[in-house]
Amino acid sequence: MQNNAVNAGNDRPSAPVLAARELSKRYEDGVLALDRLNLQVQSGEIYAMLGGNGAGKTTAINLFLNFIDPSEGEALIGGIVTHRDPIAAKKQVAFVSENVMLYPNFTALQNLDYFSRLGGRTGYTREDYRKVLLRVGLQEEAHAKKLRTYSKGMRQKCGIAIAILKDAPAILLDEPTSGLDPKAGLEFIALLQELRDEGRAILMSTHDIFRAKQVADKVGIMNRGRLVAEKHRSELEGEDLEKLYVAYMAGYMEAAV
Amino acid sequence: MLSLLIQKELKSIIASPKFVGTFGTCAVLILLSVFIGIQEYRASMTQYETARQLNDQEMAESSSWSALHTRVYRQPDPMQIFVSGVHYDIGRFSAISEWEEIKLRRSNYSEDPIFAIFRFIDFSFVVQIALSLLAILFTYDAINGEREQGTLKLTFANPVPRVRYILGKLIGSWLGMVIPLLIPILLALLLVLLYRIPLTADHWLRIFLLIGFSLLFFTFFLALGLLVSARTRSSSVAFLLLLVGWVTLVLIIPRAGAMLAGQLVPVPGIAEIDSKLAGYSQERWDQHSEAMSQRYQERNAVTAGMSAEEREAYEDANMWAWLEEEDAERKKLQQDISEYGRKLQEDFRNRRAIQEQLAFILARFSPASAYQLAAMQLAGNDIDLKTRYEDAMQAYRTIFNDFLDMKRKESGGHSGMRISISSESGINISTGGVDAQSLDLSEVPRFTPPDYLLSRSLGRVMPDLVLLVLFTVLAFAGAFVGFLRYDVR
Repeated sequence: MQNNAVNAGNDRPSAPVLAARELSKRYEDGVLALDRLNLQVQSGEIYAMLGGNGAGKTTAINLFLNFIDPSEGEALIGGIVTHRDPIAAKKQVAFVSENVMLYPNFTALQNLDYFSRLGGRTGYTREDYRKVLLRVGLQEEAHAKKLRTYSKGMRQKCGIAIAILKDAPAILLDEPTSGLDPKAGLEFIALLQELRDEGRAILMSTHDIFRAKQVADKVGIMNRGRLVAEKHRSELEGEDLEKLYVAYMAGYMEAAV
Repeated sequence: MLSLLIQKELKSIIASPKFVGTFGTCAVLILLSVFIGIQEYRASMTQYETARQLNDQEMAESSSWSALHTRVYRQPDPMQIFVSGVHYDIGRFSAISEWEEIKLRRSNYSEDPIFAIFRFIDFSFVVQIALSLLAILFTYDAINGEREQGTLKLTFANPVPRVRYILGKLIGSWLGMVIPLLIPILLALLLVLLYRIPLTADHWLRIFLLIGFSLLFFTFFLALGLLVSARTRSSSVAFLLLLVGWVTLVLIIPRAGAMLAGQLVPVPGIAEIDSKLAGYSQERWDQHSEAMSQRYQERNAVTAGMSAEEREAYEDANMWAWLEEEDAERKKLQQDISEYGRKLQEDFRNRRAIQEQLAFILARFSPASAYQLAAMQLAGNDIDLKTRYEDAMQAYRTIFNDFLDMKRKESGGHSGMRISISSESGINISTGGVDAQSLDLSEVPRFTPPDYLLSRSLGRVMPDLVLLVLFTVLAFAGAFVGFLRYDVR
């Protein structure tokens, strides 16, 4: 498996792999789901969007993947505006969604093979799939089992294996640790850190303050469609993120009322 | 990319837990329907041969040309194995004689009414009911199911153009279902060969066309499933909608069409026609006898002043002319009555034809009816089968009677009258001499069943073909457009 991400990172170290510029989304019913979001994720960096339900985290990810078109502004992956050239942009990004079911009637190997080919990676062997499944923590005997027999944690591991196999410079994760037991969550975090160290730009949404602090290089606190604070890891040293989060939320809510 | 998407659809259909059960059921139904069809065909063939032999025997026993009468039988056709159509509904034979009208009697259903209630399952029925349900069962969650399990998002997080995805879906699910279905269909054809059912090239062509139509009909429901799946968010809603749609298309519209046509174009019943004809005939005969009595009075008035001799001479002189005059009038009257009866029949047939056409037009709003009508046309078991046979029998009756007339003249003309009463053919009154030796039946013209050319069938199925293609294309287009705007989240 060659490593495009690292190369891409080394060539242009300063250019962000993922970027949002004044990214906004107003739905047809008038709800402003995302309000002028600006953020950048560099190669080798984990950015965690932290916020409650309806804060706009998932909307931001959906805009990056062009599942919806922005009302204003733009999302960029590897310098490509996603809503202008979604096909080219999607070659640069891997996605792990919350609670992914995958194809329940296919085995893990079949799911991996299908999604890898869909992502344009046709050169993988069965051995590659086996290795990556072992790497994400799926035991050998589970590889040929149909996904409908899998637990949520196992499916999530399979999902991250698919993302790894895509070998893209950017990875988007939507609530990746929700519903995972503590051990699975911990393994997941370790895996994310490995991927970051390989040079990938990772943007994840979460409402898990503990995990965000544990893994993120940057944390963006979101509320009601707006990015209300952005803190670097160094700024969070010794800070109580939970208190900070609640304070921002409260402050914003008071301002709104 | 497209072939990857197609392959995935194929695999996911075959890997689906419902695959074995549903396809197994359909395969069994197809094979069973053809097997039963073969048995039924063989039984009706035996019945046909036996009845014909019996009729030949009865004819051979006849001692005079004047008393000779026959029966002609409707010939079973191997296509009834696949599509029974109206085969079981209409009578199997008609008596052919001078004194009886052509009427097809004794349908299978009139003999075994149980089958009229629970109709035979034939191949076209399996296609219409079971395969359409199967198509729905595998497509109702084709798009929205993928949304629900999150794979749609995951798929479109990859560089996949939507057009290619929906095309892959259409082609993949079509292949994934048609290929497994072709296996029992081919096995069924093998069964037909194994039982040595006599099939001509014409039959084979009809069978392949029927299979083609069946697959087209199946494709429509597949497209309909995709259409609904691409326009709903949840698979359970889609399933309910499709079930309602299926009931409407397959069960309601075909019947409602016929019922509505019956209301819009009322057709008089046979009894009504008979009573009209009887009324007319009564009226004419009354008029006739009134005119006759008036004429007698006139004739009597002329001879009023004459002596008995003069009157007798006068009457003798005019008697022949009078008799001829009366005979001519009677003949004219009978002609008028039968002409009136013919017109009534024609009017009845026309009205019924209009009603049928309207019923077909209304019913064709459902692809199920279009398929059923096309299948019946291809099998030659369509609604016109009865008329075709009646016309052929009518023509044969004329030939047969002309032949008898000729034979009667040859053997000595009118010399007596014979009345026979039997429960089988009613009261027979015949005139003619009795021949001493038995008859040479080899010259008796034989009945040839009406042929139904493939080219004519093809002409008739054209509207249904066009409709089925149109319905299918519309459903596909709807699914296509629906998916291009589908929210994958």
